[in-house]
Amino acid sequence: MRAPARAREVIAASLAAVLVAGAALAAPIVTREGVLPSGTELGEDAAVQPTELFMTELAGGKRSYQQKLGDMLFSSPAIFGGVAKQAGISCATCHQQGAGNPALYIPGLSRRHGTFDTTGALFNPRADNGLFDPVTPPSLRGATFLAPYGHDGRFASLRDFIRNVVVNEFAGPEPSGEVLDALVAYVQDIGFLPNPKLNSDGRLTDAASAAAHRGEAIFNRPFRRDASMSCATCHQASSAFVDHQVHDVGSGGWFKTKTLINADFNAPYFHDGRFDSYDQVVGYFDKRYDLGLSESERADLVAYLDAVGDASTPTTPDTVQNELDEIAVFAGVLDTAIREHDAAIIAVAVDTVGGEWRELGERIPETKDTSVSGGLAERAKARGAVRQMVLALRQIDMAAERGDFDAAAEGYADYRAQMAPATTALAAAEPFSLFDPTVRRRHFAALARLDALAK
Amino acid sequence: MQSFFQFSRIARGVLIAAIAAIVPLPVAAAVADPLADGAKAYKPFVVEHIGIALAGARDLQAAAKSGDVREAQAAWIKSRKGWEAIEPITGEFFSELDGAIDAWPDAKQGYHAIEAALFSGKVAGIAAPTDKLVADLAAFDKQLKAPGFKFTPQGLLNGAAKLAYEVGENKSKGGESPYAGTSLIDMQENVEGIEAVYKLAFEPTLAERDKKLAAAIDEKIEDLEKLVKVEDLKKVDQGALRRNGEELAVLLQSAAPKLELEKPSVGE
Repeated sequence: MRAPARAREVIAASLAAVLVAGAALAAPIVTREGVLPSGTELGEDAAVQPTELFMTELAGGKRSYQQKLGDMLFSSPAIFGGVAKQAGISCATCHQQGAGNPALYIPGLSRRHGTFDTTGALFNPRADNGLFDPVTPPSLRGATFLAPYGHDGRFASLRDFIRNVVVNEFAGPEPSGEVLDALVAYVQDIGFLPNPKLNSDGRLTDAASAAAHRGEAIFNRPFRRDASMSCATCHQASSAFVDHQVHDVGSGGWFKTKTLINADFNAPYFHDGRFDSYDQVVGYFDKRYDLGLSESERADLVAYLDAVGDASTPTTPDTVQNELDEIAVFAGVLDTAIREHDAAIIAVAVDTVGGEWRELGERIPETKDTSVSGGLAERAKARGAVRQMVLALRQIDMAAERGDFDAAAEGYADYRAQMAPATTALAAAEPFSLFDPTVRRRHFAALARLDALAK
Repeated sequence: MQSFFQFSRIARGVLIAAIAAIVPLPVAAAVADPLADGAKAYKPFVVEHIGIALAGARDLQAAAKSGDVREAQAAWIKSRKGWEAIEPITGEFFSELDGAIDAWPDAKQGYHAIEAALFSGKVAGIAAPTDKLVADLAAFDKQLKAPGFKFTPQGLLNGAAKLAYEVGENKSKGGESPYAGTSLIDMQENVEGIEAVYKLAFEPTLAERDKKLAAAIDEKIEDLEKLVKVEDLKKVDQGALRRNGEELAVLLQSAAPKLELEKPSVGE
């Protein structure tokens, strides 16, 4: 999810110069009065989002209520407590669309972008271990095949791992069995992205380059100092390139073997994100294990990793329709929750889906945004429609809270009826919104000018 | 001076009666159109607060000229408080001036262009946007006081519902005035502004027609008051603020038929 509020979107002028095509526009927090430190970047304003595919759907099925509920809860700050809940942070903040978040940066908790100290004092003082030990939020693609969980593999069970994140890392209340089951069901369904360069045995196909094929041979070649070992000893190709073990590779402790599938999109690498590129990773292992790789062998090994880590469609443009599709999935939870008179799930769904609507609305510049010309009527209409959707949801919650589930059902029908006109209004406003690269550049440039005044 | 926000808890009824006394209305007109009377009763609140905003802006102008950063910052906050209290009507009735006075993001005009420089300790460069702010607020004041100007009940209900929704926006990362760090004051003034428009323009009529709904709205406004009456922005319960803001907007929308008005739009 994206963080709302205008302060969040003020970008540093120094960043503006290096940002291109709006894809990497960042939005650090500038205020000292917020709950997150000034300079925080949640990386939620990207023009493209990681592609998220579900194994159930890839197999031709449909996602269950439980999986969709988990998907919605994954984007809900309501399951957390303390600062995270206050700041609107959810699981999806660090694991965007089930992937990682290389733009994440929280002063005091991050050593570099894409890392975060999960045992720092900010989010849960009770879990503060007194160490500055930031780690990368890993991609969850294929998580069901990648036990144990946690960088150091401390949890054999995904359920235990998720509970630890909710309760200990982010100070949330003890989740119900229903909530935990749903979150597990959602995460277990996040699939690897298809990669035509890799077959089901984890071997390269003809789609991979010659260099990658040469690299594959090196990957499987015994180390010159220890013939019992090769890269493939731990990264087992037929087993999602993992061995489900932890190893000390000299990086400061025992850490589990990471999958290489789709890893092109998982930088920075190692548990603490110390490396930006495969070249650096290969260089590290070459030195650590005295592999004696020639320059061309290193290049071939990098080409191999590139091929294994690739995906046909790694990102998806962020569009109004994509946002609406996600909202529809989340809101679909209400169908069952209202029928089952489940007021608790209705409340969290209304908060979460309403939050998603609000964030969508904020990407339609208000009429007072002088950096955007044109589309005044379209923008006003779209923002009004978004707000009305939020209030339609709130009516459902108000009805459920007083135990009137018939009124909640009527409210939900009303919400659904308003969906089509809202979609039309948003589509009309999209060319004048932050979904448009030109508008986006102008808007962020205006923010940068304002921020420059404060320097 | 004591704010309406504080005053209302002590003697709301007395205040409303006092404002009504300041704005004498023909008895026949009051009976015929209580909502129009309510809109008239609300106008002095706006006159008073635009006066505060304008006076603050003029103080800011003077402080900027003398190079006194602290005075200038205090004047900016004073002016801003006056402005935020009348937000229910700024966009609804003065959209063009609202767009200039409260432009975002805009480094050339409005409160925020001044805020960004001023609260980083600079007065150099704020003269031009401050002059423009004074001129815009003066124009606002003039239009407001023009003989033909009047608030429409529908516009007031729209503005109140819209601001109730906006109060619920998550401010945990900074809110409306991130450079000044005064977003909590903005929120407090916004709630005071909603209370004023509801109490003065609508509650007397609604209480006669649907006492329960009128009480529910009153209670929801009080809930919002409590939520923003905290020491600093970090202590605002953002989830509760949003929920209560949305619930208030829903209640105001549900009041429309009782008031024989259209369902208020919460758009711009």
